[in-house]
Amino acid sequence: MAVSEVDTSRSKPLPFTDIRHQEAHQFLVEESYILDSQRYDDWLELLTEDISYKVPVRVTSARSAGFDTSPGMAHFDEDKYSLSLRVARFATEHAWTEDPPSRLRHFITNVRTFSTDVDDELFVQSALLLFRSRGDNREPNFVSAMREDLLRREDGMLKLARRVAIMDESVVRMQNLAIFL
Amino acid sequence: MNDLSQMLEDVRRGMIPAYIYNDSDVFQLEKEHLFERSWIFLAHESEIPDPGDYVVRRVLEDSFIVSRDESGDVRVMFNMCLHRGMQICRAELGNASHFRCSYHGWSYRNDGRLVGLPFHQEAYGGEDGFSKKGQALLPAPAMDIYNGLIFVNLDPRARPLLEFLGEFRYYLDLYVKQSAEGAEVRGPQRWRVKSNWKIGAENAAGDSYHTPQTHRSVVEIGLFREPTGSKRKEGALYWCDKGGGTTYKLPPGSFRDRLSYVGYPEEMIDRIEETWSPQQKRLISDDGFMISAATLFPTLSFVHNWPKVDARADDDRVVPFITMRVWQPISATETEVLSWFVVDKNAPDEFKEASYKGYLMCFGSTGMFEQDDVENWVSITTLAGGSMAKRLLLNSRMGLLSNDKPVSEPLADFHGPGTAYVGYGEFNQRGLLREWAECLERPLKDLEQIALGSKMPNRMPEGGDV
Repeated sequence: MAVSEVDTSRSKPLPFTDIRHQEAHQFLVEESYILDSQRYDDWLELLTEDISYKVPVRVTSARSAGFDTSPGMAHFDEDKYSLSLRVARFATEHAWTEDPPSRLRHFITNVRTFSTDVDDELFVQSALLLFRSRGDNREPNFVSAMREDLLRREDGMLKLARRVAIMDESVVRMQNLAIFL
Repeated sequence: MNDLSQMLEDVRRGMIPAYIYNDSDVFQLEKEHLFERSWIFLAHESEIPDPGDYVVRRVLEDSFIVSRDESGDVRVMFNMCLHRGMQICRAELGNASHFRCSYHGWSYRNDGRLVGLPFHQEAYGGEDGFSKKGQALLPAPAMDIYNGLIFVNLDPRARPLLEFLGEFRYYLDLYVKQSAEGAEVRGPQRWRVKSNWKIGAENAAGDSYHTPQTHRSVVEIGLFREPTGSKRKEGALYWCDKGGGTTYKLPPGSFRDRLSYVGYPEEMIDRIEETWSPQQKRLISDDGFMISAATLFPTLSFVHNWPKVDARADDDRVVPFITMRVWQPISATETEVLSWFVVDKNAPDEFKEASYKGYLMCFGSTGMFEQDDVENWVSITTLAGGSMAKRLLLNSRMGLLSNDKPVSEPLADFHGPGTAYVGYGEFNQRGLLREWAECLERPLKDLEQIALGSKMPNRMPEGGDV
């Protein structure tokens, strides 16, 4: 399967009035509600079979270093199978970290959609702010990240074929990432 | 804090005052008596393979540059400009021949030597007013490397690292020396947990008892075939000098069979066989134990585990992985976890990838084992801050009868150093807190003053003449 690459600094995003942008934006909004309500089986349905889901480890490096993610290490580096195992775990009665479940809110904004060399694929950039609250006496936590998604049309429906979520903190201020970005 | 001597006495008999997991006075004692005097792991040599490579790490609030200088030696230097105290290096990793202070431009080579001082002549009258010669960033008071593991100690009179590690080196090797060239690491992932640092350290040292309960879900989804209650209690718990760990009992077989059972490919087993001592190999071949989690006092823990990375296949194929982590205290109630993936340098690439995958699925910030651990530890820490916790002594006497005799005798024919027991027991958690109590009781000694430009000798990197 071809993997589309888009140089967002050179390419022009689709106008907001373009139906493809609107479809992509709607996909992200619908996905957010699914993630917020932790309907993870439904979420898996939104992913292509060859999904690549990555959350690199962000690092503090000099401007001249030419990199700002950890070489070789990620928080998530998943395929469909490993994501489905994570989902299966939440469905057991013994995934303590999410039982009682966190209260989640995925805020998605600054959405830009780019066409790609492949007709059925759209490249979508967005900003994510995730709010997570657990229990009644802990401070809530936030994750801020940029998402770069590849959406592919399969049987008339958009699906997520690739996601790279680049977190804005080098030290995650959350007890774990038992959630999806 | 309640009375110190009472607290230590309680800890030594295995009754743990709950408040030690959330008490700012206790944390202050730990800072001065323990962290300023203990060997603390900072980095692995493979993180800085080439001259100029550096990482920046901390011991509590003290920032250190860990760099490889132009001659290939590892240097650990206090990350503070000698002039006005600015943090010299503000990135966490990279490659640099020099570090230049952003405040007034003093610059230092990557071995720490001061080489640049703007307007030296005009401002100081040159060497006469301020002699650059021999000035260098403060080196870590004590530094040493064992099998690629770079440790520092803020106490220059600390006993040597090798002596501190003692016979625990036998077990360290099993994690970081599976071939002559040793290990390489990836990471660390870094995240903050609202948990006291001791809880994670104790857990990794010896808590095989939590596995069947806390980690039940990963067995249910087929990620791990081992930690059912009956399996876990057949493993041995060992405590040896400054560290302790847990093991699993493996099915019958030879040394090679058993390494193969946990997923090592033939070529890796060949190298392991060449590298480990006969005594190390007997732990597996004769005793039938495979290392699992371990902690070296105070804050360095390891995990060795062998998940079914892909359970779609019907066979029982597993892939082993190793992780190493530091529980770096932020406060009495918060810990930064730095978690590395560890793999033998000579392992085949496909093994490295599968093992890395296994690590991500099981441990670290997203790991399905570790996720449930921190949920417990955060709750403990929160509750330990209240007034009821000041009255509660937690029972940490598992494995002991009321007369302090062990429930079952130590293993007589265990080939590893130290003392080992089979079955559940909190021997190692008590071992760790015994070390902790020793540290807290040690009297403080004045640390050496290091003054710049005075007559006091400033320790200088070797060959330090500019």
